[in-house]
Order: sequence, then C-alpha cells, then structure tokens
Amino acid sequence: MNPQVALGLPIPGANDAREDSDGGEMASRGQTVLANKVIEKIAGQVASDESSAGGSSGGFLGIGAHADLSARPKASVELSGNIATVSVEVGMLYPVPLRQATEALRRRIRARVTELTGVEVRQVDIRVSWLTTGTETNGRRRLL
Amino acid sequence: MRQTAGTLNRIWLTLLGLVVLVAGIVLLLQASGSLHALLNTARSGNRIVTGDLHAVFAPSWVVAIMLVVGVIIGLLGLLWVITQIPRKNAARTYRLHDDGGEGFTVCEPSVLATAVENQVNTLPGVVTSSALLRGTANAADLTLKVTVNDRTDVQDLIHRIETSTLPDLSRALEAPLQRSRLQIDVSGRTQSTGTVVHSTGTVVQ
Repeated sequence: MNPQVALGLPIPGANDAREDSDGGEMASRGQTVLANKVIEKIAGQVASDESSAGGSSGGFLGIGAHADLSARPKASVELSGNIATVSVEVGMLYPVPLRQATEALRRRIRARVTELTGVEVRQVDIRVSWLTTGTETNGRRRLL
Repeated sequence: MRQTAGTLNRIWLTLLGLVVLVAGIVLLLQASGSLHALLNTARSGNRIVTGDLHAVFAPSWVVAIMLVVGVIIGLLGLLWVITQIPRKNAARTYRLHDDGGEGFTVCEPSVLATAVENQVNTLPGVVTSSALLRGTANAADLTLKVTVNDRTDVQDLIHRIETSTLPDLSRALEAPLQRSRLQIDVSGRTQSTGTVVHSTGTVVQ
C-alpha cells in the first residue's frame, strides 16, 4: 500500500480553454501530494461530525480505550491512483437501524471526501465495533 | 445457552432401534418356527454352518475388509461421541450490506449481544444477563439468560423484554427475529448497576 499519492487536484475557477495551453505550465508548478492519513482523518471527521457514529477515546496504546460517541471513528484508506477504498470502524447508538444508518454514513463519506480532496471513493467498508444504549452505568454513583 | 446434538441422537437412536427391533422380530419368528413356514428357512436348532469357519476368514482380503469396516464403525462412534459436546454455535459476522458494490457493512453478533445485555441490565431487578445470537442478520435467533434477584416481578420483566428488548434488536437489524429464547435464573445478589429511577429532582449546579 502506498503511503501517499501525488494527485492533480482540480483548481476551482480554472477554465477549460486554458487547460491545454497551461498543461506544461501546470506540470512545471509542481505536484500536490496527498498522504493517506489526510483522507483517513477527513473520513473519520465526516463520520464523527455529520452522523451519529462515534469512535474510541482514552486508554494507552489501545488498552483501556472506551466507546465515545463524540470521538472520531478510526478510518483507513487504500489509495489506488485517484481511487480510494475507505474502511471505517464505528460505534453507534443502540437501537438505530444499522443498515440505514451505515448506508447514510457511507453516502456521506463518499460525497464529502470526494468533494474535499478530489479523490474518488469507490467503496466504503464499515465495521460496527460497538453499540451503546446511552444509559450504561459503571455501578458508581455520579456526584453532581 | 449451549446446544447439544439432540436431533442427531434421536435420528441415530431411531435407526439403531429399528435395526434391533427387526432383528428381534426375526429371532422370535425363527425361534417359534414361523420364519421356516413363511420363508422356508432352516428350522430352529439346525446347524446352518457345517464347515470350518477358519476357511472363510482365511483369505487376507476378508481380514482387510473386516478391519476397514471395524475402523469405519469405530470412527462413526467416535464422531457421535464428539458431537455430544455442548456447543454455543454462535453466529458468524453479520453482513448488513445488500450487494457489497459500494462497500461492506459488517457487525459482530457479540456487539449486538453486548448491547442487548446492557439494555437488559438496566431493567428493574436484573442482576446480570447474557445474550447469544445465532442465525443470520436477516433471521437472527436470540438466546437470553437473565439473572434476577428474588424480589423481582418476573411477569413485568418478561413483559418489558417482549415489548422493548426484542423489538429494539429487531429494529437494529431491520429484520424480524426468527426465534427468541429466554431463561430466567433467580439469585440472592442485588442489582450491581443500581436501579434506574426516572425522577424530576432539582439539578444542582
């Protein structure tokens, strides 16, 4: 898996007529390199901000982490040229209809990642790793 | 929570019972002389094998066949014994996508089972609970074991599980449950999570 990929991102406002003549000039300007982590963070942030999905927070080296609906879900990306496959590990509120919720999340990640980076997202694999009822307690009384 | 090989046992015991029954009927008919009258077989008490049996079993291929048949019967018996070990037969990973063209959606049944347990644990009187999912995402099979304390209103608990827990799981999976089993145990322990009380008290800030 390549850690980063050079992408020719579209420049907003550039007209088509100038594209042919500016082709060589654009190549001489340099290239934009987009690391996988950028797309991973965007995908995770979109899942966190624009859906009910959550991630894990706390812990040390993955030990002791707990489910947190406000945390950013863990995402990984496999880039193949300008096409990406995103895998997201999310937690959700129980009992949401999982198929509907994950389908909405998939559509949102595809649209936003493509919109923000120009990378075409072909597939979004979603793993539901935990579900919370929102009323769980750990047996301790909470001080007001 | 665990499943045993009840169906397999019934099938094999039925087959073996039929074989023994037929053999018993034949022996009775032979002893009473009816078999001789019906099928013209040898009379009871007559020697059928008159020669030396050592000659029959002398060829090496007969010994080999007997050995193979013995090994096969032994293996079948061993497999039958192994299947007697109770198993959970938990479901495999639930796939919640339609065709997978746009990506896969998967959820471990244990994740759903934990959510069910957490929900049941908040019901009044529940000390602890254990859920196990079998079947597929489109036809799930829930086995729920609930331990309650001795002051719990069991009818109310069953009603709550039937009206909230099971519909919630069905809603999460977006498919009706194929089967649900509930086992209730009574314990002297108290509810560890504390009883959920809906109150309208004053919020101190």
